[in-house]
Amino acid sequence: MIDRGPFGHWSLAAVLSLVSASVIAHQIVIMQMLSIAQWDRFASMVISMAMLGFGAAGTVATVFRDRLRRAAGPALMLLCGSTAVAVALTPRLSALPGSFDAFLLFYDPGQTALLAVVYLWYCLPFFFAGLAVTLVFYTRVDRVGLLYAANLGGSGVGAAVVIALLWIVPLDRLPALLALPPAVATVVLMVDRSARADPPRRPWNRALVAVMVGAIGAAIVVAALAPVRAQPSEYKDISAALQLPGATIVHRSTSPHGELSVVRADALRVSPGLSLTYRSEPPVRDAVFVNGDYFGPLLGFDPAADHILGFTTRGLPYAIGSPTSVVVLSAATGTGVSHALSAGARSVVAVEPNRHATGLLAERHPEWIDSLYSDPRVTLAVESPRAFLSRAAPTGGFDLIVASELGSFGGNAGVDSLHDRFDLTLEAFERAWSLLSPAGIIAVTVWTDEPPRLPLRLLATWRRLLDRAGVEEPVDHLIAVRGWATTTFVLSRRPVSDGQIASARRFADAMGFDPLVMRGIDAAERDRYNRLPDDSVFDSVDSLSAGDADAIVAGYDFDIRPARDDRPFFLRFLRLTAIGGLIDAYGRRSVPYLEIGTFLGFLTLIQVIVVATLMIVVPLSGHRFQTGGRLPTLLFFCGTGTGFMLFEIVLIQQLTFLLGQPVYATAAVIAVLLIGSGIGSLLSSRIDAASRFLPRIAGVAAAVLLCYAVALMPLLRFLIAFPVATKIVAVVILLLVPAVVLGMLFPLGLRRLAAGRTDHIPWACAIDSLLSVTAAVAAGLLAVELGFAMVTAVAAAAYGVSAAAATRLGGAAKAGV
Amino acid sequence: MKLGYLRDQGITSPRVIAAIEAVPRDRFVPDESRAAAYDNRPLPIGRGQTISQPYIVAYMTQELDLRSSDRVLEIGTGSGYQTAILAELCAEVYSVEILPSLAERARALLDELGYQRVRTRVGNGRHGWSDYAPFDAVIVTAAADTVPLPLVEQLADGGRMVIPVGPDGGPQELQMVRKSAAGVVSTSPLLPVRFVPLTGAGS
Repeated sequence: MIDRGPFGHWSLAAVLSLVSASVIAHQIVIMQMLSIAQWDRFASMVISMAMLGFGAAGTVATVFRDRLRRAAGPALMLLCGSTAVAVALTPRLSALPGSFDAFLLFYDPGQTALLAVVYLWYCLPFFFAGLAVTLVFYTRVDRVGLLYAANLGGSGVGAAVVIALLWIVPLDRLPALLALPPAVATVVLMVDRSARADPPRRPWNRALVAVMVGAIGAAIVVAALAPVRAQPSEYKDISAALQLPGATIVHRSTSPHGELSVVRADALRVSPGLSLTYRSEPPVRDAVFVNGDYFGPLLGFDPAADHILGFTTRGLPYAIGSPTSVVVLSAATGTGVSHALSAGARSVVAVEPNRHATGLLAERHPEWIDSLYSDPRVTLAVESPRAFLSRAAPTGGFDLIVASELGSFGGNAGVDSLHDRFDLTLEAFERAWSLLSPAGIIAVTVWTDEPPRLPLRLLATWRRLLDRAGVEEPVDHLIAVRGWATTTFVLSRRPVSDGQIASARRFADAMGFDPLVMRGIDAAERDRYNRLPDDSVFDSVDSLSAGDADAIVAGYDFDIRPARDDRPFFLRFLRLTAIGGLIDAYGRRSVPYLEIGTFLGFLTLIQVIVVATLMIVVPLSGHRFQTGGRLPTLLFFCGTGTGFMLFEIVLIQQLTFLLGQPVYATAAVIAVLLIGSGIGSLLSSRIDAASRFLPRIAGVAAAVLLCYAVALMPLLRFLIAFPVATKIVAVVILLLVPAVVLGMLFPLGLRRLAAGRTDHIPWACAIDSLLSVTAAVAAGLLAVELGFAMVTAVAAAAYGVSAAAATRLGGAAKAGV
Repeated sequence: MKLGYLRDQGITSPRVIAAIEAVPRDRFVPDESRAAAYDNRPLPIGRGQTISQPYIVAYMTQELDLRSSDRVLEIGTGSGYQTAILAELCAEVYSVEILPSLAERARALLDELGYQRVRTRVGNGRHGWSDYAPFDAVIVTAAADTVPLPLVEQLADGGRMVIPVGPDGGPQELQMVRKSAAGVVSTSPLLPVRFVPLTGAGS
């Protein structure tokens, strides 16, 4: 028997939409704040644990379902109000525990306790909202198609709207704004007519309303009038810059690209690994930081002066040739662009995907870089390097493509190890190679890393490219020169000439650099000016450029295989099987800092699995279920939760390739996938839940995902060269089809339970939520190990499990609900 | 010995250990920090500057492999503590400090402690002290963006320089710069460090 609860279903649909929109937007805002304060990998970890609040809500609802159902009216109001308060105050509350810094997690045990408190605070909005949603599903399962659609649709709209808001509202002001929808939801419940038809109100209801209104109002006012700004970790680049004498922030703004800051200090100089022969003092210049990470100096352009990059290894491509047509990928503040102009380039394409930064430097404050991006020889392309490479069709080809720099001075402890880098895959370099003029070259500058990983993977990638191009003597196409801080590698379309090699040697000798790779290199000239503590790297370099590259790739302590579009993780080097040896070599406390992003990923997964398992198992203790058949319920909703989220996460990563920015890909996938699923949920209302359709739909979902596993990436490679509008339409079509199918399964499953296993409904919600969070974390790690296609295939397999379980779900159900 | 922990951390040169034992570190820190003078951590000395932790002082000194006949240039006098240790080990010490108040205080203290073979001056350390060049060793106790060419030029053939380097205001690394007998300059990394910046203000 279903208790229909005190509210009308349209009111409840509105409430679910508002609460879901707020919470998903809150999630994105908190991610942005944590990315500023820490790093986005830490943000993912905290948010993943916080999202378990949804699952915890399901568990609580399972355990206390009878009491909650009896008090559904006030409980729902209380939960919506609490969501509003928690959304408004989370940034303030999370700052209370003290100076938590995720970077110290593997070093200072005290940080673990702080982290637990941080988790708790961030968990609250998701817990309150999740409990509200579960309660509504439980009490109105007769309308679950509509209500689930409202839930998903609200989430989708919330994701899309917050991206727009991030452009126009400062980040620290958004929590107050996002608290408004659940506040409105609370009011909707207060004024709902069905509620008035409820049995006479008790006096405490009025008291509850008064307290609720007061608390919500106070929370929003506090959040609006005294917003909390994210404070960067002391281990972020900007913190070091701000410690310089007299350092000040002269500009700060936020957008979906993150927080952009410009720092000024008398001792902040441009000195990107300068030669010891550089005679002048490095120039004092302001520097730009994005989310606290160094983005570039505001060097500007002085045509009359020698360019400072000419005194670094970056001068190599200009020392061995005179490129007139140059592309600078990831141009940032334009230092590489002005370098090209100083070296005589007649046309330079500056490719920079950060629209926020280019808007600041090209439109709002062009004087900060001497109007470099307005120079008639410069074309600014605000798009991802990969999108540019895909659509570019230069007449005669480019003479020089300067790819993104790799690494940073002193390294960054591998915080970016799980970032996808589609600009550094074998396919990206092959595309760049195809765009070169007959004598064209690609140049990449790598900051020295210890132990060496970046230069070796780059060489392994280029070696594969040359082998696939049918080049018989790969070293004939390579030159590299090493300084005390950087090494610049050059890949030439045609064999480098003796004259170019002589020029490279002269350049290196004049600057105090050492040749690293070139035809006929002498061992004695490699370590003359810049001594390495371990020169075994030279053997690896030789094998990769001229010897048995496969043997080095297979036998090296780190994974240096070329990154591919299906596994575009150029910065991930850790071999899981090598961790024991690394601990012996570097010590237990140091090893996580070789690649902290990966370690945090696994730490997150372990935490999530432990907590999720506990929350799923807890309701099984005692006699909380009146009915049997728990295994099909467990398997069906494990399948839907896992399959949906694995698919969603790899979609976001793959669409980053197409759309160029993770933030846009995230918004597009969440918005379209959830709205599409909402449509599917609505359509499911017309289907008899007891019929054989459920296993068939789950089977169709599995089949659709299998098709995506095979065909999506090739399709995206085809689409990337099209205009933005075409891409958006393609994304909507691509996502809607699976979204509609996937969206049917959860409500149909719940309705199947409503026929004979009503007591399973909150537990089913908990399982779906908990597995969703677990799968979200696992997806990133699985993609690194297996590739996107395989993870999508795993998602399809999960729906296969749901299809099998669906035949037994809800027991011998006789009728639809 | 109050700094006995240095041996456990790899400071093995008897000369360096003897020099460190001879210099009263507590005289070079402000009164309020005196109780922590021998702790292995940096301490503030005013004007945004610090006295380096004992281990780093000992490590940099040991890496320079100083002989008693050496002439040494120090960039960043600061409290004068490192200067005193150098004076225990070498024939002549030349020290440049950009902040006059620190330079005066250090000079007075070094005089009081009887270090007569030390010359100090106020100036921009990036330019070194060409009047007394070349030097057998150079030690820089503030982080530079890159190795300043004047310091390299003022290094004698066969000389050594220890300098913390950190481009773009970011992380820093201690570097060893050597000039061979033939005048060829080479660098090699030593270890990650964190120093106050070589400001160059007032140049």
